[in-house]
Amino acid sequence: MGEGLDYFQLTREARGLDTSHCKKTLRLAVLADFATQQLISVLKVLSARRGVRLEVYDGGYDVIDIEILNPESGLYKFEPQFVAILHATEKLKAKFYAATDRPAFSEMVVTHHTELWETIGKRSKAHIIQGNYVVPSERVFGNYEQKVAHSLGRAISTINLGIAEAAQSSRSVLLLDVDHLAAEAGRSAWADARLWAIAKTPCSLPNLPVFARNLLDVILAASGVFAKCLVLDLDNTLWGGVIGDDGLHGIQLGGYDEGEAFVSFQEFLLELKRRGIILSVVSKNNHDAAILPFREHPSMVLKESDISVFIANWDDKATNIRRIQEVLNIGFDSMVFVDDNPFERNLVREFLPSVIVPEMPEDPSLYRGALAALNLFETASFSESDSQRGELYREQAQRELTKSSFSSIEDYLLSLNMIVKLERFSPASLPRIAQLMQRSNQFNLTTRRYSEAACEQFMNDPQNYLPLSFSLADKYGDYGLIGVTVLKLSDEELEIDEFLMSCRVLQRGVEQFVMNSVVSFAARHQMATVRGRYIPTEKNSMVKEFYSNFGFVASPISSDKSFEWTLSVQDYLPRKVFMHTEELDPVFGLTAGTSA
Amino acid sequence: MIRSEIESKLTNVFRETFNQPELQLSPSLTADDVEGWDSLSHINLIVAVEQEFGFSFATREVRSMKNVGDLIELVAKKVG
Repeated sequence: MGEGLDYFQLTREARGLDTSHCKKTLRLAVLADFATQQLISVLKVLSARRGVRLEVYDGGYDVIDIEILNPESGLYKFEPQFVAILHATEKLKAKFYAATDRPAFSEMVVTHHTELWETIGKRSKAHIIQGNYVVPSERVFGNYEQKVAHSLGRAISTINLGIAEAAQSSRSVLLLDVDHLAAEAGRSAWADARLWAIAKTPCSLPNLPVFARNLLDVILAASGVFAKCLVLDLDNTLWGGVIGDDGLHGIQLGGYDEGEAFVSFQEFLLELKRRGIILSVVSKNNHDAAILPFREHPSMVLKESDISVFIANWDDKATNIRRIQEVLNIGFDSMVFVDDNPFERNLVREFLPSVIVPEMPEDPSLYRGALAALNLFETASFSESDSQRGELYREQAQRELTKSSFSSIEDYLLSLNMIVKLERFSPASLPRIAQLMQRSNQFNLTTRRYSEAACEQFMNDPQNYLPLSFSLADKYGDYGLIGVTVLKLSDEELEIDEFLMSCRVLQRGVEQFVMNSVVSFAARHQMATVRGRYIPTEKNSMVKEFYSNFGFVASPISSDKSFEWTLSVQDYLPRKVFMHTEELDPVFGLTAGTSA
Repeated sequence: MIRSEIESKLTNVFRETFNQPELQLSPSLTADDVEGWDSLSHINLIVAVEQEFGFSFATREVRSMKNVGDLIELVAKKVG
């Protein structure tokens, strides 16, 4: 189950829980048809361990519909950022048994859920986290149960599938797959019929922590906190043995026993890479020895092109991981270091305490399960471009390497032949835009975390908003969509409600290009003023002087929580940029080939 | 298991569950006498006792206990 997930230990910690060290607060409403106090108590402790203080609105027992349908309910007054809707199958069973029309039951339940989501969506911008139903252990039809169209087991499977499908097209709804958790624990171990009967507890007490932790994982993923990069050792991690000593044909990879286990582990890692996790390598080896299996071993699943940054040398691993962090420019706390050697693991923990370093089992057959059980790769979004992320970072690493051979940065930037595309939000780009909204922590002026639904609203309100995304390409490759700015329009002025950018494209003048375009738009529409705002967070201090650098003036109505900046449009001096714009855009009146 | 061992283990469980390191058990002790012993922590107590001794209470047994004396008797019946 995992370290630190003992229910009684967590309950003890819940007493007098100290959240003063927490740098982030999140507001979660919990609506359930079971008793929630124990779950919430454990959830708060787990959250505090991750540095997040959870303010929780407990909707009360079995009043889900009332809380959602009543516009004056405590739920809406609480102004949650997340609404978790969780169920105990017992309640659903009772409804099923009482239903007069069993064939229609599944569809009716799924429709009811989507209606509740819509109602919430009308009154709140909160992410909805919908729990599914644990399939019961009892099967009145035995193995025949799934063949009976309207048996209880089949109905619940159908409902879970229906919820998942409905969630695919509902942008603000995330899933909590409680049935998966129950299956992992073993359905009989998960359930505790006595506790349900006595206290309406949803599962046996030892399973409450993993229930809570998974809910927390989803919440954190939607808040931009999740693992982005795996740093992998090679010897005895990706293959058995030591390549430097055993040679290409001496290492265990493929075939039977341990060789099979390592192949299986690599297949899992490749799937993670396809899902958008960046893979990197840090190995104590000569480079030529380390790369050999990638190029020549017949059973090697991971290829050189799957690894974004490949470091094999004799430096200590903490130093190498720092190098990787510099190249990728992501937080240390989004990196996961996997190494079979406890010495290396402890060293990295010591020198880079923010890096996630899981304990690994001794047996390679257990590597995959151990890594998967930690559930480090939760996400609140997925788009096709995710699967290219590894390649994009690999291209980035190559850019970093060529950079050092230019005498001036300017020459280097010009040599890149960069092209920027500025576009209004469009339906096709909304998923990627929403994803950037959730992921971006550092170059993010106001951290609005707008959901896809909110972005769509901006898109459909051209009177009041000009929401823009910008993409970048250069001679090494296409970065795709790398930034977003949401502009609020009025007769006299333009307000920059949000400005964020991927950290992969810093220091090449993209933001200068965008700001030039924004101000020139304001000028053409006779707006006298542009306003901007900087809301400080733990992670975005790099943009503290963003507006100051563009000549904005600090507004007297600033506070510590929100710095206001204003610019008189006529005073703006366009910044030098090193890129072209690709196409005619009527919004900006630019012709192809101009540098704005 | 002999009675004194049962009582000693139970005392530890009570002390941990209610965070009262000095708590002394007596047969007439009830939920009214112990701070923090409510219907929620009662469940925690029950499950902690089950884990400590390695058995399960039946549903009606959980409800039937009126005081610590009843609990000791129940445990003794199961492990004695």
